[in-house]
Amino acid sequence: MLPFRVQFKPGAHTYEQVVYAAKKAIITGALKPGDNFPSVRVLSQELRINPNTAQKVVAALAEEGLLTVTPGVGTAISEVRPPTREQLGTLLGDEVERVVVEAKRLHVDCDDLLQAIRQHWNRLS
Amino acid sequence: MNSVIETHGLTRRFGRTAAVDDLTLCVPEGSIFAFLGPNGAGKTTTIKMLLNILQPTSGSAGILGVDSTRLGPREFAQIGYVSENQQMPEWMTVGQMIEFCRPMYPTWDAAFCAKLLQGFDLPLDRKLKSLSRGMKMKAALLTSLAYRPRLLVLDEPFTGLDPLVRDEVIRGMLELTEQENWTVFISSHDIDEVERLADWVGVIDAGKIRLAESAASLQARFRRLEGVVANGARLPASPPKSWLIPEINEHSVRVVESEYRPGLSETSLAEAISGTEGISASEMSLREIFLALARTFRLKS
Repeated sequence: MLPFRVQFKPGAHTYEQVVYAAKKAIITGALKPGDNFPSVRVLSQELRINPNTAQKVVAALAEEGLLTVTPGVGTAISEVRPPTREQLGTLLGDEVERVVVEAKRLHVDCDDLLQAIRQHWNRLS
Repeated sequence: MNSVIETHGLTRRFGRTAAVDDLTLCVPEGSIFAFLGPNGAGKTTTIKMLLNILQPTSGSAGILGVDSTRLGPREFAQIGYVSENQQMPEWMTVGQMIEFCRPMYPTWDAAFCAKLLQGFDLPLDRKLKSLSRGMKMKAALLTSLAYRPRLLVLDEPFTGLDPLVRDEVIRGMLELTEQENWTVFISSHDIDEVERLADWVGVIDAGKIRLAESAASLQARFRRLEGVVANGARLPASPPKSWLIPEINEHSVRVVESEYRPGLSETSLAEAISGTEGISASEMSLREIFLALARTFRLKS
């Protein structure tokens, strides 16, 4: 069994959905630094996804520094490292902008948006 | 990149109708190739030619480096084939069928067979004729996987299966990818069945191949472009060939760009429909790309 769950939505990118689910598991502590991360084979078989996609997922998470791959041994969750400037830029620029655009489109109050963000923040910590 | 299946101008006529018409495609080793098309598009006829069950009227197909019309026991011992309407020795029990198949394959892996048997939850002592459709499909797949074929050909494997059995079949199929030198060629009329499995896609329609490409390359060249247009804006009389299903709806324009080039595609949209603003380009999933293509082909025919 996998240490995290992926709720696949039809039509969305498989790769992105798995990467997102893994990141969520890491930040919520379902996966802790030093824990083993499933192999490409296990990811592919448990999620019923193409092995090449599973390979891409592991490579992307390793690239972002979330996983440490030790050849011949396996893959583990990395020790927490301060985020890079680039990662901060993506989060505070693009991702936040996306949420604000959606909020404005739906005429959501800024305070309500902040409150919703705080709720999620607390739920995930 | 080695190709496991390679066809050139493969054609099969039945009377005056070309069921498969000048089909050229390549299936690279290590891929899960989804062969998609509506019912009656020519998928099964193609597969039957690949496996020398039908002779091509013209053109050729190479399987594992051998011409399809010369395939013999040596090649068939490395190919697994399961079809929607599989002929099976109905009078045998599951166990008898396994014993019947085993001596035909030098690479038969008894431990793997036992593992699959357990995973598929198949009763050894039941006769095939008394099994449900899903059970029969699993039994057929089991005897096609147990010798770890280099090429697994599945013709509409999911049709009429309940979700649980479908899931077991996919899981079983993925067991094969543990070894080296595997390739899966899987036909389906439904993108949803194979979206997360396929990394190569071929689309056949009315006997003609419309597309044969890696999912990564498709996703790189397809984008959905959206923009805001002025009141009364119209589509150009002859839109660029790379645009699929362009539409203007009140104040917005939507185009599926099939040859996306960052920056250039946005500019050409703004030029084609003057006054277009705020153009965004979003990535498309395999499913969205397939649906856009399906709509386009239908519009053309």
